[in-house]
Amino acid sequence: MLSLTGLGKTYAGGVQALAGFTLDARPGEIVAVIGGSGCGKSTLLRLIGGLDTPTTGTVSINGETVEQPHPLINLIFQEPRLLPWLSVCDNVGFGLAHLPRAEQVLRINEALCRVNLEAYGDRLPKALSGGQAQRVAIARALVTRPEVLLLDEPFSALDALTRETLQQHLLDIWSETQATMILVTHDIDEAVSLAHRVIVMKPWPGRILDEIVIARPHQRGGADFDQARARVRSALNHSLSASAPADIRKGRAQHSSVLETSP
Amino acid sequence: MTIGAAEAGLGAGVGDGRADTAAVSRRASWLRPSAGGWGGALIRFALAVALPLGAFLFWELAVDSGLASGRLVPPPSRILATLADLWTAGQLADHIASTCLRVLLGFLAGAAAGALAGSLTGYFRFVHAAVDPTLQALRAIPSIAWVPLFILWFGIFETSKVVLIATGVFFPVYLGVSTALLSVDRKIVEVGRIFRLSGFDLVRRILFPAVLPAFIVSLRAGLGLGWMFVVAAEFMGASEGLGYLLVDGQQLGKPDQIMAAILIFAVIGKLSDALLVGATAPLIAWQDNFSRGGL
Ligand SMILES: Nc1ncnc2c1ncn2[C@@H]1O[C@H](COP(=O)(O)OP(=O)(O)OP(=O)(O)O)[C@@H](O)[C@H]1O
Ligand SMILES: [Mg+2]
Repeated sequence: MLSLTGLGKTYAGGVQALAGFTLDARPGEIVAVIGGSGCGKSTLLRLIGGLDTPTTGTVSINGETVEQPHPLINLIFQEPRLLPWLSVCDNVGFGLAHLPRAEQVLRINEALCRVNLEAYGDRLPKALSGGQAQRVAIARALVTRPEVLLLDEPFSALDALTRETLQQHLLDIWSETQATMILVTHDIDEAVSLAHRVIVMKPWPGRILDEIVIARPHQRGGADFDQARARVRSALNHSLSASAPADIRKGRAQHSSVLETSP
Repeated sequence: MTIGAAEAGLGAGVGDGRADTAAVSRRASWLRPSAGGWGGALIRFALAVALPLGAFLFWELAVDSGLASGRLVPPPSRILATLADLWTAGQLADHIASTCLRVLLGFLAGAAAGALAGSLTGYFRFVHAAVDPTLQALRAIPSIAWVPLFILWFGIFETSKVVLIATGVFFPVYLGVSTALLSVDRKIVEVGRIFRLSGFDLVRRILFPAVLPAFIVSLRAGLGLGWMFVVAAEFMGASEGLGYLLVDGQQLGKPDQIMAAILIFAVIGKLSDALLVGATAPLIAWQDNFSRGGL
């Protein structure tokens, strides 16, 4: 089980990106996190993934505090971030170096099948489309069989059709692996149709504004879906209208006056 | 004779039906290095050698017809004759071999030291802060300025020559590796971190492949400087080597010998670079370059 308690992050420049974020995700739960740009969603995932250290609060998995990247947690970035010098197979197997070769091959093939890329194993990343590359990135995260999968807007750069296919893939993967997923997204429909629970965030500092439990998850359309979507939308509107705190506005004003006075 | 062959090549390329239609359908597509086929390669080769061969031909005719004396600038035929003489006299191979050996040793030493220093400063912030300013200051010294000191320290024989060449090779390799390491994309390093790589594994599996293209470019720059510095090294008193042929040619007033040595420098310099590029190309074939794939 993944627990976040009072998680906060203040960056070196004094930007308070996240404050007092508390959340428990049940094993196998899909939690969608939605919010405007800059409200600390990526920061949240980076803290859970152990890439950054929180200023306050803790992340723990199965009672164990996470301070470094943890073997049971994996992160899928917003961009595929494939290693250009490795073939698709070697990219997928990147996290398996500690296993015997036969086991690696088995797992790589399994993961490539899951994302429908069996035929692409020998290609280099430069010969993949954006959607294919993102699927390789998903496969790369899956092979280590993480208990917790963090996804940072994994489909946002893709066209609507590919996005829907991949969303379905993700659900298939979830039903096979029963991984806990934290899915950051900008897309209300994506959040409501994939998640068991939707967290709406509010910026400056990033914190939880509202939490919507989806009554009948994984269904598009229907009264429940529409109702949940309406709630998420109104919470999101509320969050987006929240104005920037005084110091940020002041910072902008100073910045522009500097621009004006400079020759 | 060479010119005739080049013209024949040009004719064959244009006459080749495949090259013909390609040239029509994609204007000047054979200029792209990736353009395939022997026709394209021949045309490109002919185009590359047209300028120097034309110049040689011009000078040959000018001297032949008495328009120029060719005393200080000997015509190509005389240079070739000198080359043949040197070769049959049996010393040329030795001269070439000793110069190549000096460059090779200096290159290996300088590249190894540059790669090591570049890795350390690129990887450890502390080392960078402590060492890089000094190295940058040393880099600002024209390396030829070290010659008198190196002679005092290492004598006038092989050691000082190899050290001078190594000094020349060191700096571009150092700079290339160090800056490449410092500018490795954080995003790719984070991939390594999320898979819990650290220390040596991170270097081996992420940093090294990421800087490899820049490292190879810096090796090429270093090798070029190696050829430059071997001349300076052989000027400071050598009894054999291509640089010796230069000095000897000047002292005895033999411009044809000087030109012959220069010609050999051009050929083996180009050859060694091509060798380096050819040997390393498979290592960086993964790069998604404009010239490789086009748009
Ligand atoms: N390394 C950093 N140093 C300083 N400030 C940062 C850093 N990374 C992020 N921030 C700031 O922290 C805040 C939250 O950033 P974060 O990337 O978490 O937002 P986000 O919700 O993921 O936005 P988006 O939806 O646009 O990706 C922003 O105001 C951003 O400017
Ligand atoms: Mg983000």
